[in-house]
Amino acid sequence: MARDHPLTRRDLTFGIVGLASKSPDAIQGALANESVDMGHRIRDHARFQTPAETRRVPLVIVGGGIAGLSAAWRLDKRGFRDFVLLEMESEVGGNARWGRNEITPYPWAAHYVPVLGKGPALVRELFEELGILKNGQWDEHYLCHSPQERIFIHGRWQEGLPPQTDHQQWERFEALTGELRQTGCFTIPMEQGWRKCGARERALDRMSMEEWLAANGLHSPEVRWYANYACRDDYGASSAATSAWAGLHYFASREPDDKGPIVQPQGNGWIVQRLEEKLRPHIHRGRMVYRIVKRGAGWQVFTEQTRFDAQAVIFAAPTFLGAWLIDPAPPKYPLEYSPWLTANLTLERWPEEQDTEPAWDNVIYDSKSLGYVVATHQSLKVHQRRTVWTWYHSFSEGSARDQRRLLLGGDWSYWKEFILRDLERAHPDIRACVSRVDIMRLGHAMPRPGPGAMFAAVPSSHAPSLFFANSDVSRLPLFEEAQYRGVAAAAAALRLLGRA
Amino acid sequence: MAAVLFISVFLIAACGLIYELIAGTLASYLLGDSVLQFSTIIGAYLFAMGIGSWLTRFIHRGLVSRFITIELMVGLVGGFSSSILFLAFTYVQGFRILLYGLVILIGILVGLEIPLLMRILKERFAFGELVSNVLTFDYLGALGASLLFPLLLVPRLGLVRSALLFGIVNAGVALWSTFLFKPHLPNPAWQRGACAVVLALLCGGMAGAGRITDTADAALYSDEVILSLSTPYQRIVVTRWKDDFRLFLNQHLQFSSKDEYRYHEALVHPGLASLPGARRVLVLGGGDGLAVREILKYPAVESVTLVDLDPEMTRQFASHPLLAGLNQGSLRSSKVKIINADAFPWLEASAELFDFAVVDFPDPNNYSLGKLYSTAFYRLLLRHLSDHGLAAVQSTSPMFARQSYWCINETLKQAGFQTRPYHVYVPSFGEWGFVLGSRHGWEMPARLPPGLKFLEARYLHSMFEFPPDMGPVAVEPNRLNDQTLVRYYDREWREIIR
Repeated sequence: MARDHPLTRRDLTFGIVGLASKSPDAIQGALANESVDMGHRIRDHARFQTPAETRRVPLVIVGGGIAGLSAAWRLDKRGFRDFVLLEMESEVGGNARWGRNEITPYPWAAHYVPVLGKGPALVRELFEELGILKNGQWDEHYLCHSPQERIFIHGRWQEGLPPQTDHQQWERFEALTGELRQTGCFTIPMEQGWRKCGARERALDRMSMEEWLAANGLHSPEVRWYANYACRDDYGASSAATSAWAGLHYFASREPDDKGPIVQPQGNGWIVQRLEEKLRPHIHRGRMVYRIVKRGAGWQVFTEQTRFDAQAVIFAAPTFLGAWLIDPAPPKYPLEYSPWLTANLTLERWPEEQDTEPAWDNVIYDSKSLGYVVATHQSLKVHQRRTVWTWYHSFSEGSARDQRRLLLGGDWSYWKEFILRDLERAHPDIRACVSRVDIMRLGHAMPRPGPGAMFAAVPSSHAPSLFFANSDVSRLPLFEEAQYRGVAAAAAALRLLGRA
Repeated sequence: MAAVLFISVFLIAACGLIYELIAGTLASYLLGDSVLQFSTIIGAYLFAMGIGSWLTRFIHRGLVSRFITIELMVGLVGGFSSSILFLAFTYVQGFRILLYGLVILIGILVGLEIPLLMRILKERFAFGELVSNVLTFDYLGALGASLLFPLLLVPRLGLVRSALLFGIVNAGVALWSTFLFKPHLPNPAWQRGACAVVLALLCGGMAGAGRITDTADAALYSDEVILSLSTPYQRIVVTRWKDDFRLFLNQHLQFSSKDEYRYHEALVHPGLASLPGARRVLVLGGGDGLAVREILKYPAVESVTLVDLDPEMTRQFASHPLLAGLNQGSLRSSKVKIINADAFPWLEASAELFDFAVVDFPDPNNYSLGKLYSTAFYRLLLRHLSDHGLAAVQSTSPMFARQSYWCINETLKQAGFQTRPYHVYVPSFGEWGFVLGSRHGWEMPARLPPGLKFLEARYLHSMFEFPPDMGPVAVEPNRLNDQTLVRYYDREWREIIR
């Protein structure tokens, strides 16, 4: 039976009686997915083993993130199966990588795909194929469950993001971004609208997001905090270091009333998993490409095990690596890459909360970090004793190079303390709840679209049979951009190979 | 002699500060906003002490016996202050008035103490020495109390016992004073008697405090507690007052044995009596076995699958003699299969079909429970019903939570059910609502099983009529990604409680 009432005085009284203190046991954990050394071997021109075998294959995809997997997805769908995908790490996924423990799968980085009113055609196509979009209806299990977001501000949790007390300023902000939406210049994928941008919108790329806010009389600390948070969250750069065009793209490319994002316990890892199942025969993991050399009309792609002689290459790894790997070298990629730190915390119990419930995305106002998402949020259980939180931090201030030094300078226990101290502001008993903190340091997580970046030239194709496909070609680190660039590169490669 | 006197000052000062800290702590625990609570309590308390000091000018004679009386009053009021406040918070309106009233009363009494004591002592010491010593010990007492309180008293004794302990100290100082100042007392025996009474009261409180601090139940449930268990999922409490048993889960009343038959007959029979062919029945929630008791009144039913999260709940209601008596041993029937699992994942993993399903979950007062009232859940439920199967869903009160009730109805519809909403009056809850859901519609049964206490076939139709103040309202269905129900429910009950 069932009548019950919302929080009553009795609950509060019991809350006090139930307050128990527990001494925190030693917290375990490690640095995870460390590939710094592998990357630096290339930078430092280390010697690599000459491959013992040679294999001819019409097409090689370098990089198994969303871009590389999407290229492979499109090739496979077009009936073209004569290609290999080479991934340096032991697992594919790139920024959509994921992990798992005895409680739940969890993300290591990218953790959602927004659901747009109608959505980009390719995203729809993929999600229909994966069975979560049927007749225009999204599968409820995949949409982020309530409550979706909350923010810890003025000492308490408040449902929803962002804090909205300065109504006039928010209305002004929404009116301005609404006007920009009408221009048709801000689209996802960005390329279409970007080509059509007029002089007024292009001018936005010459100022920072912060300058744009000031120029438009948006002085409210809340609006400025939120704009800065969005830039740090999307681009790993503060609003002062983000192009206003890029900062505004986030708001002007989406309808304000979009249905909440596609979320699974392993973040976007579930898409990786499903694509991997489809494409398994093509995927070679743990194969680091250390050199790509042009020979005649084709390319020699070197790994320590095999040299692949290919007619065409889809370069889906971060584009800046092209300058180190490809001969002849493409022009240098003009943007900096932001370092990131992410962590998965295993919780043996939930922190005490009086009158509030954890949301999927939990943000601490005025924190230097970005908050955490709850991996078990989509669970259908009423009672979930243990959980995993994925905590995010982007190094958004100062030069990326200096910040990278800071990132790599901190060892596991340094960053563990940093993380727990951040969370302690909102959850004083967090140390008594956490049993493991696994930490991932990403030196080059995503390009920073600083002022001028959106309309600066990036190496798109300096040789007719090599195609850059990473999302950084769009300069926007989004799932949709990675997919779009991957599919576009696949289409171009098929045309080149006469299979279109 | 001097040392003994100044130890009294030390103790009095410590007691005074402890009562102030207890009031501040309790107020911040119970009302929140600790800065506000501590500031206003300290302010009120100090101000009241000022009043007390000022009042001493009106005391001219019998200083020692007045002092003893005041000590006893401080001991009594201060000692019981936290018990009174804890109980009052649960039962009394106007908690703040009582809180500040008590703080001011204690403050006045404490404010009287030191000036009176100084006047008593002024003949024994030089003025300068007296002021210096009294104030020194006064401040030392304050230091001692402020360190003891957070480090030892609150963690070890709790608020209720700490207050009582210091009440005993006050009364002890009073008793001691009757010996110290014996020559000044006209009738020390009488004073000692009063001290003994106050000490006895406080010690009694100390012994009884166990009930308040250890279980908190005794303070909050006025009736005898016959079962009290903390499981990983909830706190289960059963109380008895004469022949009325009440079950509380996390302090929320689940049933009263006086009228639960109304609820359970209404939950089960309109649906199940209309399905003469029903063989297999599912009960989700309802670990008390009361719905199962009603289901077992149909001999044609071959199996009842009961899914309840908490094994302790079903174990108690299967084996505890008093509780199993309430459900007539239904959980021990060979037809009943008990599964302790979370309902949503269990149903997802199950391939079974049922002819009749009773859905009896706690009210949707949070998002975790709200999932069990979502379109996704009801779609899953529909897939587990046989073609002519029915589901009866407990749906909160159409009277007190009207939007919530109609939201559940709307959610069932969105999930593909044809619905028949109905309601019943259960005295301990008020008007309560249910929804019957089916694939092809439902026909009112012409007969009900014999031996029911409340339902009669000829009156069934009246349950399906809604007066205007409970009638349908426009609502959005409850989806996993947009739990409207939890928001409706929260708003509606908030309004009732206010």
